[in-house]
Amino acid sequence: MAMAALRREGRRFAPLISPRPITAFRSSPLAPTREAEGPIGVRYISTQVVRNRMKSVKNIQKITKAMKMVAASKLRAIQTKAENSRGLWQPFTALLGDTPSVDVKKNVIVTVSSDKGLCGGINSTSVKISKALHKLNSGPENETKYVILGEKAKAQLVRDSKKDIELIITELQKNPLSYTQVSVLADDILKNVEFDALRIVFNKFHSVVSFLPTVSTVLSPEIVEREAEAGGKLGDLDSYEIEGGETKGEILQNLTEFQFSCVMFNSVLENACSEQGARMSAMDSSSRNAGDMLDRLTLTYNRTRQASITTELIEIISGASALEG
Amino acid sequence: MASNAAVPFWRAAGMTYITYSNICANLVRNCLKEPYKTEALAREKVHFSISKWTDGKPEKPTLRSDSPVE
Repeated sequence: MAMAALRREGRRFAPLISPRPITAFRSSPLAPTREAEGPIGVRYISTQVVRNRMKSVKNIQKITKAMKMVAASKLRAIQTKAENSRGLWQPFTALLGDTPSVDVKKNVIVTVSSDKGLCGGINSTSVKISKALHKLNSGPENETKYVILGEKAKAQLVRDSKKDIELIITELQKNPLSYTQVSVLADDILKNVEFDALRIVFNKFHSVVSFLPTVSTVLSPEIVEREAEAGGKLGDLDSYEIEGGETKGEILQNLTEFQFSCVMFNSVLENACSEQGARMSAMDSSSRNAGDMLDRLTLTYNRTRQASITTELIEIISGASALEG
Repeated sequence: MASNAAVPFWRAAGMTYITYSNICANLVRNCLKEPYKTEALAREKVHFSISKWTDGKPEKPTLRSDSPVE
């Protein structure tokens, strides 16, 4: 009867069995602290091993929970900035329009990504969209180049688009993001890269759980002229009066530079918000998974412990009955 | 589309509009009184590392930073 109980215990352990040869040796009556083997047919996973795993999973859970809190607080700080920065580029879109379908010879795709990892899938989506844009815009006389912000996009794009990369910018978030920083960056890009149209790919922050990849297009002044002749929104530019001693071309150049800087500022901020939000949800799901894992390990541990206690009792009782009988 | 008006002095010097507006903003920040002045100037530090790539090969990255390199 005792053997039948043991055999039942053994069968429950079948999925956890670590492959070791069954010997006829009986384990010592002490609590199994190493790979324990009971009577023939029964193999236990050692409680020490399970305890170690539980400790490490619990530590991981604590760390991911802490990361989630940190991300939440950073998100709060940067979200107000991002929402305020939206007012910078909206007048530009009202004036000059945002035409992603413009067909130009020299495209430059600016991919905004994060430097740090553990933030879910947002960097991969940005890179995917950038690659799709590249394909979309490559025709017989068109050329498309990348300007990469952030380590994560750099790692992914360097693998297969090496010859199309123009500039790589990293370590952007060492100081809290400000317009000065982004404008110096935009200035560097403008000085180093020839472009007809700049397409900025970033993750727009809609809410803590939703970040949509978006593309903002900024055209160079010559292309704005060209499109203005074609009519449409840009064609209304001529109806504006220009004060001061500047010409329209002069103003357009200033405007496009400023537009690029504003749009970059907004996109960098929104991407930072999305990064923190994505990190929050990633760390949240990771701590929940760790909790589930911990529950399962606790069950295993208890079963192992109870089985070893049962084994001990059986040995004692059978020993005692052998003495009597 | 040639501009027949005189180009402003900063554009003739090679600056973009962004550089020009940053310099002007810095001038305005310097007009603040203490303690706001130090706060504002501390807020506007710039730091990033930029590396130009040619033909699939990166060149040495240059660090553009206002903060001292530690």
